Amino acid sequence: MAFQILLNFFLAFIWMFLKTSYTPVTFLVGYFFGLLVIFTFRRFFHTRFYGYKIVAVIRLFLIFNRELFLSNLAVLKVILKPKLDIKPGIFALPTELKEDWEITILANLITLTPGTLVIDISPDNSILYVHAMDIDDIQEAIDGIKNSFEKAIMEVSR
Amino acid sequence: MTEILKFFIGLTVLTGALLSLVTAFGLIRLPDVYTRNHAASKSATLGVMLVLLGTLLYAYQDTGSFHSRLLLGIAFIFMTSPVAGHLISRAAYNSGVKLWGNSVRDDLAKHRKK
Amino acid sequence: MFEIVLMISLFIISLAMLGLIYRVIKGPTIPDRVVALDALGINLVSIIAIVSIFLKTTAFLDIILLIGILAFIGTVAFSKYLEKGVIMERDRNS
Repeated sequence: MAFQILLNFFLAFIWMFLKTSYTPVTFLVGYFFGLLVIFTFRRFFHTRFYGYKIVAVIRLFLIFNRELFLSNLAVLKVILKPKLDIKPGIFALPTELKEDWEITILANLITLTPGTLVIDISPDNSILYVHAMDIDDIQEAIDGIKNSFEKAIMEVSR
Repeated sequence: MTEILKFFIGLTVLTGALLSLVTAFGLIRLPDVYTRNHAASKSATLGVMLVLLGTLLYAYQDTGSFHSRLLLGIAFIFMTSPVAGHLISRAAYNSGVKLWGNSVRDDLAKHRKK
Repeated sequence: MFEIVLMISLFIISLAMLGLIYRVIKGPTIPDRVVALDALGINLVSIIAIVSIFLKTTAFLDIILLIGILAFIGTVAFSKYLEKGVIMERDRNS
């Protein structure tokens, strides 16, 4: 990854010298062409093409935003309902992620999902304890966390 | 052009203010710390993000330059608000605040006992 | 028209802050009060943003960042104090 970015900068500088113009716009154009070159030759590198990782980061960011909007709607519905018929509770959620920063991002995402809030993490980083506003429809929340969030985070960290 | 932009600014600012009101309403109405934290860590974040977005648009429209400090503020609040909610609820649990009477399940207490 | 919308937004946020102050005073436990104080700080940020639109100035934009950071640090310090009884601990490994 670091090697590919370095190579990309190198190609951009070569482009600047070929054009003999030293403006940021030329640098950006050169960077773009270097990106194309590296993408074309991606099978000759040992590591994955780093553009995929950038796409994964952007997708994770979009998921973050979507969850923020959805959870706001859900909380609005609960708060503005005239009768308070919620059943809160704490459930355990086993996770497969290992690194500290991955678990931080997953905990932030869960906090932004509709009706869930991370309370504690077990000392060996394997179980998250999540407080849910309504424990009845929790199964689909667990499925959503498992399928979309963990997969998106793994896509970035791989 | 400026009228349309002004309309959008007013809309985002008003929506953000209404979300802040909903947060306060939830904090008054909901029964215990954990459920209140749901309201505080979600609606307040989106509300202040919308208000700051409106301010960003207005500053762009007014002075013609892009104020990246506001963007920094949005990113900062976006990142830290869930962390703050998690920290408060963990502190509440560890300092022994009881769950609401109608709560149905508590896996954490079960795991702690083991 | 635009000014009226801004005025209404300011009024709504002030109303929300009054509700939060009720929770700060009454709140049965200390974590309740900390949650309300955190939300108060965040509402203060939005009030400053709206006032800076109202006065047509960009001088307050630094204050927005400052208050956001202070609210977060205050919340972290409070929650650490509630959990461990100290804010700064000597032992780094616990």
